[in-house]
Amino acid sequence: MRWATRANLHIDRAACVWLIKRAIDPDAEFVFVADPAHVPADATAFDMRGVDLGHQGGDCSFETILRRYEITDPVLWRIAETVHEADLDDERFDVPEAHGIDIALRAMSMVCDDEQTIAHTRPLFDGLYEYYRRAALLGREPA
Amino acid sequence: MNEAMRPGDWVLLSYRLPREPSSPRIAVWRKLKRLGVAQISDGLVALPADARTREHLEWMADEVQDGGGTAGIWIARPAALAQERELAAAMAEARAAEYRAVLETAAAAAGLPEGERAAAVRRLRSELQRIGRRDYFPPPEREQARRAVAALSGTSEEARA
Repeated sequence: MRWATRANLHIDRAACVWLIKRAIDPDAEFVFVADPAHVPADATAFDMRGVDLGHQGGDCSFETILRRYEITDPVLWRIAETVHEADLDDERFDVPEAHGIDIALRAMSMVCDDEQTIAHTRPLFDGLYEYYRRAALLGREPA
Repeated sequence: MNEAMRPGDWVLLSYRLPREPSSPRIAVWRKLKRLGVAQISDGLVALPADARTREHLEWMADEVQDGGGTAGIWIARPAALAQERELAAAMAEARAAEYRAVLETAAAAAGLPEGERAAAVRRLRSELQRIGRRDYFPPPEREQARRAVAALSGTSEEARA
């Protein structure tokens, strides 16, 4: 399937790309567009103005995708809290690491194109998944 | 002409929301305040344009539409430097007032017992971060507030250096 989003990835879009590949469509192809009018007809748009898979009711796009695809994995919802705070910073959740992760993504996007950002953030989000999974099992921060 | 002498790009959100129900109006107003926008006129707000500010205002435009209103996003340049300076000065003054509130709270907390003072330091640090994120034209009060909170926590600039 083809998926489309705005060019110039930041935390929410980078996390959505990872989420779509991991939990929804392993063969996903991504198109990055500058204007919503350039979304190909056969592509599912996300994290853009006026599309269903965007910010909805105070949720960031990552959370909206989890809801729409009825994904209940608690570890992915824990990552959603981090993405929410990194993107929206509205203190709905208490996630001190979110600000640092946001800065890391913004820094990366200054020197990487979108394809490179996707490649580099995959191990970051895979790692966060493992980190939060272990944290949930241990009931504390893993070593 | 020197690049620095020309007005920069601003991202503008023009919006109209019905008077009733009032909750979407209030929610939008709170979020715009949190973003630190400059209010140009009724229903027209601005931020210096970059990828991030533009995205923030684009989501706000969506929210206005979801609330039954109409909204538009514009990239615009003030026609005169003076007009841009006026906008920036108004934004800097709004932030300065917030930093002054931090300074007052820090002064009031100086006499508190150790535990309460530490709690006040944590609150003030978060507040400084919140203000900093919407501070596009830092006024001198920023540094004063930062120093006051550092002094309250006992970590002077020299100690950290």
